[in-house]
Amino acid sequence: MRALGRLIRVREVPVLLGLVIVFVGTGLLNPIFFSVSILNDILFGVAIVATLAIAQTFVIVMRHIDLSVGSVVGFTSFLIGDLSSKGFSLGAVLLAALLVGASVGAVNGFLVAYLGLPSLVVTLATLYIVRGIFNEVGKGQTIVESMVPEELNWLGLNRLFGISYLFIIVLVLMVFAGFLMHRTRAARDLYAIGSNPSAAGLVGIPVKLRVLLAFTSTGAISGLAGAVMLARFNSSSTQSGLGLELLVIAACVVGGVSIAGGTGSVFGAVSGAVLLQTILMAIGALGIPQFWQLAVNGTLIIAAIGLDRYLSTRVKSSNIMGASS
Amino acid sequence: MTNLSTPKNLLTWDKGVVLFLVISIFIGSFASEYFATASNLSFVIASIAEIAIIAIAMAYLIIAGEIDLSVASIMALTSASVGYAFQAGVAFELAVVIGLVVGLLAGLFNGVLVTVFGLPSLAVTIATLALFRGLCWVLLENKPVNQLPREWIDLGNKNIPGTFFPWATILVVLLAGTAWFVLHHTKLGRWVFAIGTNADASRFSGIPVNSVKLGLFAFTGLMSAVAGVVYTLRFASASPDGGTGYELSVIAAVLFGGVAIAGGVGTMWGVLAAVLSLGVIKSGLQLAGFSANALLIVSGGLLLISVILPRVTEFVRVHRSKASTIKRTQ
Repeated sequence: MRALGRLIRVREVPVLLGLVIVFVGTGLLNPIFFSVSILNDILFGVAIVATLAIAQTFVIVMRHIDLSVGSVVGFTSFLIGDLSSKGFSLGAVLLAALLVGASVGAVNGFLVAYLGLPSLVVTLATLYIVRGIFNEVGKGQTIVESMVPEELNWLGLNRLFGISYLFIIVLVLMVFAGFLMHRTRAARDLYAIGSNPSAAGLVGIPVKLRVLLAFTSTGAISGLAGAVMLARFNSSSTQSGLGLELLVIAACVVGGVSIAGGTGSVFGAVSGAVLLQTILMAIGALGIPQFWQLAVNGTLIIAAIGLDRYLSTRVKSSNIMGASS
Repeated sequence: MTNLSTPKNLLTWDKGVVLFLVISIFIGSFASEYFATASNLSFVIASIAEIAIIAIAMAYLIIAGEIDLSVASIMALTSASVGYAFQAGVAFELAVVIGLVVGLLAGLFNGVLVTVFGLPSLAVTIATLALFRGLCWVLLENKPVNQLPREWIDLGNKNIPGTFFPWATILVVLLAGTAWFVLHHTKLGRWVFAIGTNADASRFSGIPVNSVKLGLFAFTGLMSAVAGVVYTLRFASASPDGGTGYELSVIAAVLFGGVAIAGGVGTMWGVLAAVLSLGVIKSGLQLAGFSANALLIVSGGLLLISVILPRVTEFVRVHRSKASTIKRTQ
């Protein structure tokens, strides 16, 4: 019982449990759900949100938020298609996407870290500005399949060991980011900043620099996620990525990356995204009208926030007891 | 954002926004001969009515240190409820009442999660943004309700006879006036500022913090519902995807109007001037031949300026007072 209690306090356990329940439950009611093609659809479909959720984890663990990612990913997916149709090489267009994302992230990070502005306001403003610039540059054009770089097209269509290459990208990114966040000093500092910003400063963590770097990384990854988006949809328009930021934050929260900062992992964020996508597929497989999907997502996020709150108070009270005994 | 209303600072942020509004009206009139026409002004006012109504409530909520991202979804849920009930044979008047009650309950739901369960409002209302919008889709599926009573639609689309003011103007003025009076001239209003400045200190000084916050969330729900009714009448349609993204426009307007995101600071007329300014700028840009993209960039830019400028003035003031202290000690 004690071990069970400890297990449930690991932030990723509830979401994995939820994943198993939804998957097995749906599969028992409709055996088709256990097929490889459904599994592939889930992993293929989740790639964009999962990539962005990994990026978002950096800022959320610092008790910040980045709302501009939807505009950034839409813009870079357009940019990649547009530039490569004008003859630029894949490397060059990916670099452009990376730079655009990193620049937006650096602006966000600078305003938040060095001017002390609230990240919610700053990134809301850059959400508008980037979308506005995007629409102005895009001029209502659409990127069609013939403009998508062949390599991205190929990545979107093919699989490695039966797993879509897009999800392989997510896995590689997750392992890399997960390694950073567990093993490197700079990324560990993000958790300290999220737990207690002023204490983090007092123990000598260069808080401003870390905040700047974290926002820049979030922007850079979100910029590259434009390539995933283009590979996934084979098209892009000025509507791309609209409203995606809230879905990404939802995935993080469901995956145990607490909006209150200081806890959570990229593995959790990806699991949260996969859970949301699995529920989407399950709704279809169970014959429930698709119209229920959003309502179910909302309920799930509330449950996740509630659970997070419950667990964090439990951890606190057990700490106090531990100290007194 | 710091409070700039010291005697030294005659130009406070909210006065600046009013000034900005006047200037943008002037520029608008010069930029296009169509700007100052009755039909355009009527259009400008009608197009900001819903945002203004929600912004009034959002101002209270942000001053009290909370936020509600689900307002546009509540607005749409009200619209969907009105349409659903009317289609099911309920009299339109009663359908409107049902819609308002639904909005109030939605706001209460947010409030209970925040005050009773102690969950952060940002996260809660991201969740209910999805939940309430989801319920719109469940109610209407993808079939908007368009057959609404003619006389009600006229109310949403026609002007007060002999003026260029749409009927919704009366509603906005009444609500804004009451909200201004309560916020700046009653005990409840002082409580809202106190809670936003320091919730713990307010609790210790006997302010029923949780009840006030719960009330504010319910109020925000109700006002979003009122906006939902206005929206439904203006577009003569109840659809599940109406007003998507309005929450960000509302928050942008409230913050541009001088309300501090950290709570405790703001004025009602600053917010209203901001809502009007954004409407005027939008119309001016459109008439001057700019695309909708320019408006996005301008909105974002104004939002950034509204948080950066107070920092700069604070910085200047701190340095000036330091300099004067040094002079005095010498």
